[in-house]
Amino acid sequence: MSIGWADIGAGALRAALLFALGGIVAAAFAARYRDVRGLRSARWCALVAFALVVLADAAMIGALVTHDFRLAYVAGNNARETPLFYSVISLWAALEGSILLWTLVLAGATTFVAWRGTRALPRLATTALGILFAMLAFFLLLVTTPAADPFVASPFVPENGRGPNPLLQNNPLMALHPPLLYLGYVLFSVPFAYAIASLILGEGGDRWLVATRRYALVSWALLGSGIVAGAWWSYAVLGWGGYWAWDPVENAAIMPWLTATAYLHSVMVEEKRRLLRTWNLALVIATFALTILGTFLTRSGIVNSVHAFSLSAIGPLLLGYLVAILVVSCGLMLWRSRELADGGSLGAPLSREAIFLFQNVLFVAATVTVLLGTLYPLIAEALGGVQLSIGAPYFDRVQVPIGLALLFLMGVGPQLPWHGASRATLERQFAAPALAAAAGAALALGSGMRGAAPVLTYALAAFVAATVVQEVVRGVRARRVLHGEPAAHALAALFRRSGRRYGGYVVHLGIALIAVAIAASQAGAVEVERTLSPGGAMQVGQHEIRLDALSEVQEPQRRRVIADLWVAGPGGETRLSPSFAFYPNATQPVGSPGISAGPADDVYAILAAYDARGKAWATIRVRVIPLVSWLWVGGLVIGVGAVIAALPPPRRREVHLPAIAAEAAAGAE
Amino acid sequence: MTPARIAILIAFAGVLVAVAAAARPAPAGPEERVERIVAELRCPVCQGLSVADSPSASAREMRDLVVQRVAEGRTDEAIREEFRRSYGDWVFLAPPTQGAGTLMWLLPIALVAAGAGLAWGRARSRAEAAEHDPAPADVQALRARVAREEAADL
Amino acid sequence: MTTPNVAASRRFTLTGRTANLLVIAVLVGLIVVLALGFRRDPRDIRTAVVGKEAPAFRLERLEGTGTVALEELRGKVVVVNFFASWCVPCREEHPALVRAWERYRTSDVVLVGILFQDSVESGRDFVRRLGGTWPTVVDDRGRTALGFGVFGPPETFFIGRDGVIEGRHIGPIDEDTLVRGIETLRRKPS
Repeated sequence: MSIGWADIGAGALRAALLFALGGIVAAAFAARYRDVRGLRSARWCALVAFALVVLADAAMIGALVTHDFRLAYVAGNNARETPLFYSVISLWAALEGSILLWTLVLAGATTFVAWRGTRALPRLATTALGILFAMLAFFLLLVTTPAADPFVASPFVPENGRGPNPLLQNNPLMALHPPLLYLGYVLFSVPFAYAIASLILGEGGDRWLVATRRYALVSWALLGSGIVAGAWWSYAVLGWGGYWAWDPVENAAIMPWLTATAYLHSVMVEEKRRLLRTWNLALVIATFALTILGTFLTRSGIVNSVHAFSLSAIGPLLLGYLVAILVVSCGLMLWRSRELADGGSLGAPLSREAIFLFQNVLFVAATVTVLLGTLYPLIAEALGGVQLSIGAPYFDRVQVPIGLALLFLMGVGPQLPWHGASRATLERQFAAPALAAAAGAALALGSGMRGAAPVLTYALAAFVAATVVQEVVRGVRARRVLHGEPAAHALAALFRRSGRRYGGYVVHLGIALIAVAIAASQAGAVEVERTLSPGGAMQVGQHEIRLDALSEVQEPQRRRVIADLWVAGPGGETRLSPSFAFYPNATQPVGSPGISAGPADDVYAILAAYDARGKAWATIRVRVIPLVSWLWVGGLVIGVGAVIAALPPPRRREVHLPAIAAEAAAGAE
Repeated sequence: MTPARIAILIAFAGVLVAVAAAARPAPAGPEERVERIVAELRCPVCQGLSVADSPSASAREMRDLVVQRVAEGRTDEAIREEFRRSYGDWVFLAPPTQGAGTLMWLLPIALVAAGAGLAWGRARSRAEAAEHDPAPADVQALRARVAREEAADL
Repeated sequence: MTTPNVAASRRFTLTGRTANLLVIAVLVGLIVVLALGFRRDPRDIRTAVVGKEAPAFRLERLEGTGTVALEELRGKVVVVNFFASWCVPCREEHPALVRAWERYRTSDVVLVGILFQDSVESGRDFVRRLGGTWPTVVDDRGRTALGFGVFGPPETFFIGRDGVIEGRHIGPIDEDTLVRGIETLRRKPS
């Protein structure tokens, strides 16, 4: 028999494992003896391991695309009728494939650090590289043990595979959401590896943090985009008219994002004030540990979730990995606690650094609450045999006040100088934003918002937006005075030269936008359900919906029942076709909503039930959801802000930085 | 009183009034009561979705039962008790405020309070470390310079 | 937990060692909980109704006319089985129910099938095709299932002579489990 995809993939992974192990040795050698040959070997180990993992992933995609059912993974997640696009993205539709993708991203990050990162700060970076190799080796070990081996053969070769999970072959967003999340998760390994390296070397300074600032930012942005894409997917696919359910997998993604957000802010305190060293290390470690914890939660089957992969032996392995990470990190931090002591003290309670600290407290409280809420059903059952549920009503009630407090601090923080401010300054700074907040509250009341939280959200979002505008105006004015530039030029220069700061403000605007979208869509949604005969119509808010026909379509991989709806509203007319899809191997039909998105509101139509025999009636549920589209726009704004913040500033500023000198020195080796 | 302070006070009062106006509980009609109850009931065949959000048949039946009970004039608590009797506390998406669920409600408050206390303590320590800081006049000058530099990003 | 600081009295601080101990204790607790999680099946939901009086029902028969009411069966051991024609495991467990019914039909044991979220036609079709002569009724808008705290078919409840639910089985049941449950209840003095 000829060589199959499985042989190529499994062989490549085993070879990659050898190179990862070799990389550990080479990097350790290079770091210990400052040996260029060691670094050179480590670089090639990384590159070869990466190439081999690429080959393994390609082999899996090859097997999926050619429907090679000799592989258990392909037989379980693919069918002959599966369209090419969904065959390819089935790579991450189930446990083994998703770990394979994870390994690919980790190998890529390791290679990037090996070739680019080690140019500056060779010793720190090489030590970090060794740690990355160790992590890569763990994941390669995982995909070469039976627990998560993606290339295991089927016990028998079926005529046709089971096909991907119907929910996952319903929407192209599935192609976007998991890879973004994995990229975010995995890229955070780099700051973590540098932090650990810094602890091992006993550096005590903030070099690791400066060196990995951009990785942390990019990882944070990708994680955030992945979360928003996931929310969008949930909205567009699951058909319940919502986008966030505080499902364990969503919680697993939001927790590291929360701690990473805290970290991105407290980092500035360390850079400017040389404070909070232990705290920043703890945040990096916590963020990284939470990415692993999230993976563990969703892949061990100990919590019940829409997304949870089936129970498997991978759980204990991941838990062991998590324990190892925590033991090593905490041990190193205790060992180096003397070097980590802060010099100096924090400013007054009304200084920027103090606001960052309060903000950190809120983010950590939010994270711990989400973590405990996710795990509490486990704890309660372990302790007292009590079965209870922790769901959206609980999380909403706890997280909304925290979120509002964070919105408030988001407006306050950027307005306060480091060290502290005088009362007169504060009053001058906050007059305009406070008036904007009042206008926001009035707007919320005027547009019919009810409930304290939504109105307060509008007010605080306006407050935040006003502070951002005020800051930008002030910056532009200062440049005009100092450099005599025209306003547009000054604005561009501001974003180009102080991208980190003004990019951050753009992110703040995106968050404010998301906050408003959440408040409006949660508090202002109207839902009506009617059973209609073809020709019958219903009124929801300002929209009229008519059922024109109920039809049935046979497609290669599924049968669909489609309600043909005509929708008319203030924005014009459109047609929607919510449907039920019947997949041959699924017991339950999969409902797909019909969505007409608009700037003022979305019309979200679901086919709830229908007359299977005569097609004489259909029950249509329509939800009119205000401003929900702005949630995705807000996600985009955050992405743009993150890009602005991550772009390196113009070259001439960096010439004097010591890192460049070190880079030149390393290059001359 | 400076104009800035007056503006802030007026704006603050405005926001307070708006929030208070919006928070005034509207008299709960039967539909609001149904929505309030089903939003907290866990749909038994779903994974963590509420009866309000779930399109499943079981959620539909539960909602119908709540509608009927509200129409019969039962209190919210009696209706919840009926579900608790057959599904236990499991059926509520927010844990009970007594017994095993108490910790979940106290914890966030305790965390924020303890964290804010610690942060406040650290921020306050500046006053005690005042001797390490430059004199107030210098701070003013320095701050002005920092502001200029930050704006111009030198 | 807090230590009064002499230099700065009434300041809320954590000393290094207490903070370390606290963090380590929390992390160890977290790991223990996660490890305990392996022993738990999140799909195994213990039920609130066991040990309580079974909710009363009076439901229309699937075949023919008339009703079946739980209180009329007081004094007998009652096995209530929720099923649906669209439910694959129900089809799997059906032969076990048939055998158990053949064994006990002449005794003081009654098996009641309750059709769950299904059309009457499909239900009749299911029973005619797969056999079974025990009383089968149609649930009224899911009310009985909700009263029993049913998650989804198939589910089987064992009700004692005094009308108290003594046992519950979620998922397809086999003959052994049925017989064991029935025998336990038959032996139990009322």
